[in-house]
Amino acid sequence: MQITFTVNGEERELEVTPYTRLLDLLREDLGLTGVKEGCGKGECGACTVIMNGELTASCLVPAPQADQAEILTVEGLGTRDDLHPIQESFVEAGAVQCGYCIPGMILAGKRLLDENPQPTEKEVRYGLSGNICRCTGYAKIIDAVMMAADKLAVEGSDSND
Amino acid sequence: MTDQNKRIKDYFCKHTTRCTIEGVKKSKRFVGHDVLKADAWDKVTGEAVYPDDIFFDDLLYVKIKRAVHPHAILKDIDISQAKKVEGVVDIVIAEDIPDVRQFGLIIRDQPVLIAPGEKMRYMGDPLAIVVAETKEAAKKARDLIKVKVEELEVITDPFRAMEDDAPDIHPDGNIVITHHLNRGDVDEAFKNSAIVEENRYQTQFIDQLPMQNEAGVALYDERRGVINIWAATQWLHDTQADVAQSLRLSKDQIRIIQPTIGGAFGKKEDVSVHIHLAIAAMRTGRPVKLCFTREESMITQSKRHPITIINKTGVDRDGYLTAWETKFIGDTGAYASSGPAVVHKGMYHATGPYNCPNLRGVSHAVYTNNTYAGAMRGFGTAQGAFAYEQQMDILAEKLSIDPAEFRLKNIYQKDSITPNGQQLTHSVNAEETIKRVMELSDWKGGRK
Repeated sequence: MQITFTVNGEERELEVTPYTRLLDLLREDLGLTGVKEGCGKGECGACTVIMNGELTASCLVPAPQADQAEILTVEGLGTRDDLHPIQESFVEAGAVQCGYCIPGMILAGKRLLDENPQPTEKEVRYGLSGNICRCTGYAKIIDAVMMAADKLAVEGSDSND
Repeated sequence: MTDQNKRIKDYFCKHTTRCTIEGVKKSKRFVGHDVLKADAWDKVTGEAVYPDDIFFDDLLYVKIKRAVHPHAILKDIDISQAKKVEGVVDIVIAEDIPDVRQFGLIIRDQPVLIAPGEKMRYMGDPLAIVVAETKEAAKKARDLIKVKVEELEVITDPFRAMEDDAPDIHPDGNIVITHHLNRGDVDEAFKNSAIVEENRYQTQFIDQLPMQNEAGVALYDERRGVINIWAATQWLHDTQADVAQSLRLSKDQIRIIQPTIGGAFGKKEDVSVHIHLAIAAMRTGRPVKLCFTREESMITQSKRHPITIINKTGVDRDGYLTAWETKFIGDTGAYASSGPAVVHKGMYHATGPYNCPNLRGVSHAVYTNNTYAGAMRGFGTAQGAFAYEQQMDILAEKLSIDPAEFRLKNIYQKDSITPNGQQLTHSVNAEETIKRVMELSDWKGGRK
């Protein structure tokens, strides 16, 4: 079947089978390999994307369900030369180890800050609770999201000037 | 620092991917400075390439048919139905690869494929390699492979495995290896001890659980006679040598390229996808990909050893350790993997960071039909820590002294000698560490 959806701001039209997972569609058909598979069971958060504004485990979504959806993956957030403040904060806070959980962590951080620009540390912990980092780098990941909140606040006040 | 030294340092830092000198140009040294991880930019943008992220246009997908019983003789394998699945390119069974040899980190006891007449020893043992145009076809064909087996007793307990009437999981018996430790006169010291405490401790299987499952891609370069394998390993050159000997090729015919590794923690020391990928690549002449599911990774690849530790510890009236006897029995599962080294190291750490003049130890790695156990952070020492610290707490209570004071009495100092005979000549800060913990935790002597 044919589906139409928007990925990272670009409208795409694709032929999918009913048993294709959104995860495979993004990784294999669209080459968005920043979306990772950790467990295939919606437990680990490595395959997290933002779909219609909500954090979504793409391994649990049948591709046809993404018809008409708007999806953001880590590739749509910022590039190497123009990092999003959250990505920049992850680099600067030393939050990245093996890196496999990081795209999901960054998107979970973004979703949180979109809704709650100045979260408490407790709120950050809660916002990231669907994502597992096996390198156990949580402390610095939390630091990174807190740092990003500060950066975004400064940027926001700049743009208001 | 000379320019050349700077260049070397810069090169080293960039290529170990552990640090970078970018952003700290004002400094000549790294200690005391924040250094940014060289590959962090790739990882925050999703550009980093992990094994599963490698694609070729004419890529084939590999799935492995695995054991149907933890301990059974394979009587027959029927691939006729599986071969009819549309998109299947090749199904490899043991008779197709008669020259391929067993592999393994320390003991080469792992078969590449189980042949009829041979035994499957755990649920991860491979019976057939299925290669197909799509993942779905490979999966479908794998599930259509029919297997007949003769079931044997399943041994899940190393103590059962060590009994005389237990069936041998491997031809040379179930005890893979035995290590001994002897220092001083343990029997005499126990006789003269004020208190002797003997307890049995049991730890469990733990999966290292790196976020990224075992995965890889291989491509056979026929003109050069070289197999390129993109897959994670923690022992690049050992893996290369093991794959080469298994396939009866020379090492320079096996090229292993490390993509970004999504964590390992010991689990990726063992060969996983490599040999099956190499065989599939050579037979089909096309690029091939094999990615384990999480379930497959948990069933097939190594674990932290469950260890039974029997500790007998003596102290004198003044609270000094007099003698320590340890039995350290590791369930290494169906294959040895790092087991022989893990139980060796674990035994040497039986007394933890505490001085004890008289020591006796024995350790075994024992085959069972459980998933094989290998390396995981600490390599046998984490299991031992649980047991020796419990001993220390129990003895302190029996002596009616503060468990922290009891540890301070016995803690390693400079010039202490470890059970394996190493004299600690510098950087022994254990006493300072305990004191600092007491201070920071506002230690009240262990009483409520």
